[in-house]
Amino acid sequence: MLSGVRGRLTATIVALVVLTAVVLGVGAYVFVDTRLHDQALREAADQAGFDLSVLIPSRLGDPPTDESMRKLGDDFQRRGLDTIIVPPSGQPFATPGTLTTAYASIPDSVRSLVDRGQIAYAWQPLAGRSSLVVAGRVSGTGPAIYFIRDTTAIDDTLAQLRFALGAGGILLALVAVVAARQVARGVLAPVQEAARTARRIAHGDLSARVPVSSTDEFGSWAEQFNEMVDTLEDTIVRLEAAQTQNRRFVADVSHELRTPVAALVAEVSILRDHLDSLPPESRRAGELVVQDVGRMRALVEDLMELSRFDAAGEQVRAEPVDLGRLIRDVANARHRDAVLELPDDRVVAETDARRLERILGNLLDNAREHAPGALVVVRLRATADRIAITVADRGPGVPLDRVDRIFDRFYMADPSRRGGSGLGLAIAAEHAALLGGRLRARNRDGGGLAIELLLPVTDSLPAGDPAATPGDEPALR
Amino acid sequence: MDARILLVEDDPSIREVTAIGLSAAGFDVATAADGVEGMERFLAEPFDLVLLDIMLPRLDGYEVCRQIRRTSTVPIVMLTARGEAMDVVVGLEAGADDYVRKPFEVPELIARVRAALRRANAGPAGETASLRLGPLSIDVAGRTVARDGTDIPVTRTEFDLLLELVRHAGQVLSRDVLLDRVWGYDYLGDSRLVDVAIQRLRSKVETDPAAPELIQTVRGAGYKASR
Repeated sequence: MLSGVRGRLTATIVALVVLTAVVLGVGAYVFVDTRLHDQALREAADQAGFDLSVLIPSRLGDPPTDESMRKLGDDFQRRGLDTIIVPPSGQPFATPGTLTTAYASIPDSVRSLVDRGQIAYAWQPLAGRSSLVVAGRVSGTGPAIYFIRDTTAIDDTLAQLRFALGAGGILLALVAVVAARQVARGVLAPVQEAARTARRIAHGDLSARVPVSSTDEFGSWAEQFNEMVDTLEDTIVRLEAAQTQNRRFVADVSHELRTPVAALVAEVSILRDHLDSLPPESRRAGELVVQDVGRMRALVEDLMELSRFDAAGEQVRAEPVDLGRLIRDVANARHRDAVLELPDDRVVAETDARRLERILGNLLDNAREHAPGALVVVRLRATADRIAITVADRGPGVPLDRVDRIFDRFYMADPSRRGGSGLGLAIAAEHAALLGGRLRARNRDGGGLAIELLLPVTDSLPAGDPAATPGDEPALR
Repeated sequence: MDARILLVEDDPSIREVTAIGLSAAGFDVATAADGVEGMERFLAEPFDLVLLDIMLPRLDGYEVCRQIRRTSTVPIVMLTARGEAMDVVVGLEAGADDYVRKPFEVPELIARVRAALRRANAGPAGETASLRLGPLSIDVAGRTVARDGTDIPVTRTEFDLLLELVRHAGQVLSRDVLLDRVWGYDYLGDSRLVDVAIQRLRSKVETDPAAPELIQTVRGAGYKASR
């Protein structure tokens, strides 16, 4: 409950209410307690002073006789006061008699004050009751008389007051808890509403808005928030529209190019067999036509492949694939000179072989085009949690600030080089994403580019596969 | 070789150059520019093989294929611009035996045409007259399949595929091997053709095609007929 702003707000309010209640309660109690005791003491002292100096001297002989003491004790008892009369010489006489032994428990300080002729008092439990004892000597020098009045009523009153204050305090605290929660909820409702809205926006619902329900700070904040989302939505919609238009254009263009390219490919496949019979001055042109139709075909097919990714209609057909074998097959077909570094054990992954072939083929094509004649290494590494296939060349590499861009469409590290469509790595990256993996590139120490395909390890990897020690990052330097 | 081929293709350049290539390879080629014309030509004279573009004006390639199949078992090779799995499925459902993706090189097309013709002409080689696979009985000579005495209509390709699997019952055949032995050409990267044909075959011969018992998939390897 104490976690979060709402909890802290509630706790603070409750603490303030309880503190106030305690201070007021204790204050009120102390005040009433003091007043009750003061009042009782003043009445008792007045009564004692009057009786000792006016009433008693005439009725108590000197020295007092047992008879006079008993009579006086009875009179006071009728007035509601118990007494202990202590003659200067002789035994204390208590009315009622049960108090006789209580005399001993009256504090010495009181007794010595009384002996010196002063009026003294003590709040003292006597014979099991809380009592106020007020005492003095008759006419200042006569027998000492201890007036004892029952103060249980005061205690009872105070006990009731304590109970009332305690119960009231607890009730107040409970009310404070409920009220504080309500207040906290009310104060924080706009914040929670905004959090919900932000979450919906984050999940792609750009139509979500914070309700503006007040004119206070929260209200204006909500308006600002909504304004920001409006702008965001506008921008995203505009960008999406532009991107869709762009992609549709590419799809349309490649679609329209398809039929003429198909015709060219068929035509060139016949022309190619008869280049030798062309007159020398047109033979070279014929050779170039054959070559350029091949480039155009590759470009159009790459564009169509990317358009299919954009249409998001691609499906992955995963099955157990022997990666080492696949790498050997692809390297054989696409780059016979590539050096393969494969683990001794079979590495089997649950993946789509066709897409993997496409990725590797494109990476090898890229290495061949950008590092012609240079050493190309294909390395397969499998650790417990991932599989890495690296294609590394010893070509010119890519300027550092552009390494991340080589997977962009139509990005050419060296614009003067004519070769592939400029789409090969972009296509490879799309396939890699579909397989749940990704491509990353970096320049190698000593020159050259290394492109690494990281694939997730799936359940079908048999136990006992070459699970290298953890932290053994597959890397080519 | 003097086989007669009907080429139905709407793009004039592709039609002309393909016809030139096929003629140069020794085939006798007739052409049609749309589906309706293609049907007319097919009904007017006999052909040994039909090359059929899918996107055709007036009557599309699938429909032409279906109409031809009502009366003829002539080998049909579809020319598909898309080469997508769906096109292959629809093409095979319509009764096509094979498909060639556009763009194609003419020598590649000729190789596929020859393979299709070879299969069509391969007669019974004097072997066991009848094979069995579970409740299926396969009449090799008559090229028919029956379940409990009831004939199941299968296309030529489906029959060849079934025969290949049954002849090696219990043995796993990879997609590449099936492509090579049934369709008769080397692996060209479109082994999905095998998957689609297997699905088609299962839908005809299996009791529950979703849980096949006769023709089993061996993940990562290929297919096998149960023994």
